[in-house]
Amino acid sequence: SLRDTVPRGDCETVCPNTPCFSEVAYSQSTGQKEQLSRCLQRGIRRVQDLCKVLQLPTVFEETAVSYVQRALQHPSFHLVSLEKKELLGGCCVFVTCRQHNWPLTMGTICSLLYAKQELFASVYLSLQKELELSVPALSLADLVKTHLNSFRLFQHAADIPAPFVENKEKVVARTMQIVELASETWLVTGRHPVPIVTAAAFLSWQSLQPATRLACTLARFCKLARVDLPPPAHLRLKELLEILLRMASQLAWLRVFNLDKKTVVKHIGDLLQHRIFLLKSAFCPEDEEEQQCAAAPGEASPGSAAGAVQGGGCPSAGKRRPLLPPCLVNPRKRLRTAAPSASDSAVTGEEPISDGEIEQYLRGPEEIRAFRKAQACAAAPSTLPTPCLATCCI
Amino acid sequence: MSPYDVDFPIQTTEDVLFGSQFNQPKELPTDFSSVDLSFLPDITQENKAQNLFEDGHEMQKELDGSTSNEDSSILTDESILAYPDATQATPEASGGCPPLTPIAPMTPVTPASESSGIVPQLQNIVSTVNLACKLDLKNIALRARNAEYNPKRFAAVIMRIREPRTTALIFSSGKMVCTGAKSEEQSRLAARKYARVVQKLGFPAKFLDFKIQNMVGSCDVMFPIRLEGLVLTHQQFSSYEPELFPGLIYRMVKPRIVLLIFVSGKVVLTGAKERSEIYEAFESIYPILKGFKKAS
Repeated sequence: SLRDTVPRGDCETVCPNTPCFSEVAYSQSTGQKEQLSRCLQRGIRRVQDLCKVLQLPTVFEETAVSYVQRALQHPSFHLVSLEKKELLGGCCVFVTCRQHNWPLTMGTICSLLYAKQELFASVYLSLQKELELSVPALSLADLVKTHLNSFRLFQHAADIPAPFVENKEKVVARTMQIVELASETWLVTGRHPVPIVTAAAFLSWQSLQPATRLACTLARFCKLARVDLPPPAHLRLKELLEILLRMASQLAWLRVFNLDKKTVVKHIGDLLQHRIFLLKSAFCPEDEEEQQCAAAPGEASPGSAAGAVQGGGCPSAGKRRPLLPPCLVNPRKRLRTAAPSASDSAVTGEEPISDGEIEQYLRGPEEIRAFRKAQACAAAPSTLPTPCLATCCI
Repeated sequence: MSPYDVDFPIQTTEDVLFGSQFNQPKELPTDFSSVDLSFLPDITQENKAQNLFEDGHEMQKELDGSTSNEDSSILTDESILAYPDATQATPEASGGCPPLTPIAPMTPVTPASESSGIVPQLQNIVSTVNLACKLDLKNIALRARNAEYNPKRFAAVIMRIREPRTTALIFSSGKMVCTGAKSEEQSRLAARKYARVVQKLGFPAKFLDFKIQNMVGSCDVMFPIRLEGLVLTHQQFSSYEPELFPGLIYRMVKPRIVLLIFVSGKVVLTGAKERSEIYEAFESIYPILKGFKKAS
């Protein structure tokens, strides 16, 4: 523009009566704003597309768009890479959903955006920090409903054996109870939510018709349901079964059966029905040591589950173990850094440093020569005859 | 003349302080705060206390009597003002040898036993220092055993020493980052050793603007924590995303510390420039965490 090229001195001759224009960088007058509005347009369009695909209420779109606007105007997002800016729209939709307790997982958004989860995670965390957004935790109850929607076992189909088809409401209700149980027994805190739901859905489905379904594995179940099997789901399943077995040990009339991981599934209904009591009897408070309660065998006969449940004061079967997160029950052996010793604490930072100590880190002239030679060999092995490699490379 | 002298003009005071005790006139620090502290020993060295107190007297006389600019700059050094005991010890005030307490306590000033009874352990200190000379990194990597240099990967030499067990990033500008130490003093000692290595390689390295940039501590509250509950009640400070990370990220405002809180009860504290911030942050979070100790 003329503004940029006309030197200040000539201003007066060109336009003597008007104020002199000051030189301004292009980016400050036009360029920056143009780029910003292009980014903003792209961001808004992305938000709109996502809201349409996810079939979100209209108010979500308005909120997400306002977040995108705020984010792009924030100095920390001005200069991030285009790759990151692409994800901002998705992040804003994700935050909006969470704030409305709409159970959208990061996995879902990432797959919709074809985004790497690490990159999405970093943009999301920055967004949360810079805009000071408070994002409530994912509601597991809502996640169960949404996740089970994608399962394919609620309607008859050619490739699904008839006994495998199940009533959706029943599965949802029981899965919710199992997920709640998992939450109460520390299986949920700090873990990925979806594998827990998958494992719980499997157990719930199995327990509704154990006769025909006990033989079906978790992997086959997911395949039939056309659902991904996330790797942690196997571990979550194992942990759930352990909890259920402990609970079963508190039902006098079940102790006779010597239940194992397979057979306990048949009794999940009963266990869930009495879970509050069973958890209390099976597990002592976290801070108590494992206790071996004095035996007072339950008087109930098999069949009168109610009697057994109310009868027992102190369970006799098995020791009560503290109800703790698995990471505390099975701690992985880790190198504990020793507490600083007295000599460590006495370090002042101003200690004398001996020459000898420093010299141990320096190469002698011979060593430098040898190292140089080795470097040359390594750099261009093809140009040197093979005998060289034998002599200089130690 | 040791390289450290350049920024530390007073020669005589150093001789007084170091001559009797350390016998190492070469090792001179650049900032006066550490020189100040050196004449106040650990309480255990009772036999030296008398000597050092005498030295302290002499130092006090030097400070009081001197009128040079250099002295006044030392007196206004903020590190001295932070430790008033150093300059206030006068021979007249006390009869005989006063109890000498270490100026830089290793444990927090507020006794931990009054509150949580748990003291976070420092795990990592990151510090920076300016060696104030251009460095030939290729040359350093060739002539030092403990150096690695891959310019295509990273534009700095990575150097390690065994004691204190640390790693340094040395840049061609002469700036250096030192990581891995377990205390501020160890970080300083390590940084000095790296500077000496660079000096011995023939560069006129100095030791300017040593600064602790970050401190990381950790501890265990010894009970499991309901992170889902914590994020509900402290939403404005917390970020708990089990899809991303198993711990809860708590951004404390005062002091400005980031805490990573795990279901196991283990807590990591980071972002501190001084260890008191770590202790303060933990004492603030402990009652909050106790509130989530599930009573079953």
